[in-house]
Amino acid sequence: MELTQVRYFLALCDTLNFSRAAEQCHVTQPAFSRAIQRLEEELGGALLYRERALTQLTPLGREMRPHLQAMTDAADAAQALAESYRKPQGGSLRIGLGPGVGAGVIAGAVAEVLRVLPNTEVRLDDSPPGVLVESMLSDALDCALLPEDTLLPDRLNRWVLYTDTAVLLLPAGHALARRNEVGAGDLAGETVLETDFSVRLGGLRVQPYRGAAAQIADLVAAGLGLALVSSRAAVPPPLTTRAFSDPVLERRIMLTAIAGRPFAPAAANFLRLCRAQSFN
Amino acid sequence: MVATLRGNGMLSAVLAEGQAFPDFMLPSAEGRLVSLAERLAQGPVVLCFFRGEWCPFCKLTAEALAEAMPRIEAEGASVLALTPETGDLPRKLHARHNGRFTVLADVDFGVGLAAGVVFKVPPLYRERISRLDLPLRHGNAAWCLPVPAVFVIAPDGRVTWRFANADFSRRAEPDDILAALRRLRS
Repeated sequence: MELTQVRYFLALCDTLNFSRAAEQCHVTQPAFSRAIQRLEEELGGALLYRERALTQLTPLGREMRPHLQAMTDAADAAQALAESYRKPQGGSLRIGLGPGVGAGVIAGAVAEVLRVLPNTEVRLDDSPPGVLVESMLSDALDCALLPEDTLLPDRLNRWVLYTDTAVLLLPAGHALARRNEVGAGDLAGETVLETDFSVRLGGLRVQPYRGAAAQIADLVAAGLGLALVSSRAAVPPPLTTRAFSDPVLERRIMLTAIAGRPFAPAAANFLRLCRAQSFN
Repeated sequence: MVATLRGNGMLSAVLAEGQAFPDFMLPSAEGRLVSLAERLAQGPVVLCFFRGEWCPFCKLTAEALAEAMPRIEAEGASVLALTPETGDLPRKLHARHNGRFTVLADVDFGVGLAAGVVFKVPPLYRERISRLDLPLRHGNAAWCLPVPAVFVIAPDGRVTWRFANADFSRRAEPDDILAALRRLRS
């Protein structure tokens, strides 16, 4: 299929009017109609019902619209980034981090975006999932890393980035630190700070905690309790981690972003960089 | 499927010799952003579209290309292999030939669409490859694939030679690519 055909179709989706869409695309209506027809032939069916007073998308048209939009956005983004690489301008990259999700995993991708777009401001927002979703909907965030069980509106695209495994974060001098691995049974008598992982185990003495992943280490160091955290979390001394194996606790982390939103080059390419690699 | 594609005249959409290949920047299998202009500043570029890590013909093509790499580099050219696949798959394609050429993830088919090589998989063929879960591989449920086209792009950005065949078992011969590169120098 041709990029121009797809652009014509998307203009038609917006206007639902052949002559207005053709005008918008600066092309004569016969040429416009032929292009739409060729696209329909290729996609294997009518994309629009052509009725006298009413132009409407067919089910195939409705199905293909978001995909074709994503493809033209990708074409534009690939070209826009090449352009902004030649003439860098300021911009921002705003990433939300869900509960217990550190920035370590995506730091490499952020650094690569900054290498290409050096004047980009980076913002990381550590908030509860609901707040991050709201921020994306109101365009205060470009994307967010969220646990798979987060309720997401249909307007959000989601791609699995990696699987997170729980480890036990504890002071290096703690008795359990002498073991290679620990299990739920070993936590009897211990206080555990509340995390996404701890809520999946019963029978623990849990210290309720609502706060950023980055600060949980400070609380463990201060003796408030031990914590089940992501194996990817930073471990500042004098803390250490031990494998948690009984039961193995895992969760999948998704990269999420609003579907069909035109992203600035930094965000568009951060998303593509993340999707183009495996973080497992 | 091949007949359907031919019937649709789909190859007429493919960028032709003499046309400028639009500049782009895409993520590589190693997590770098690579731009066409940057590569062209160092010499001609051989740009190949791959259907994916799962495609047996692409495996053969990748092997043949890897083998031809010393001769391609001797012509001052570099190779960019574009795949619509995401996640771990670009790295797998890259590792298979010991990373002898750059693999880029054409996420959401953007560059493929601009080059006119993307088509929607016809229903019959889709049934045959349904075990593949292309939506998961692509991170996009469009059920599209690129024609395994090859472009030789001169340092000024123009396509000087291209290979595109609706029959995905037919591939560009390394010797033809090398001949096109040699013509660029003469």
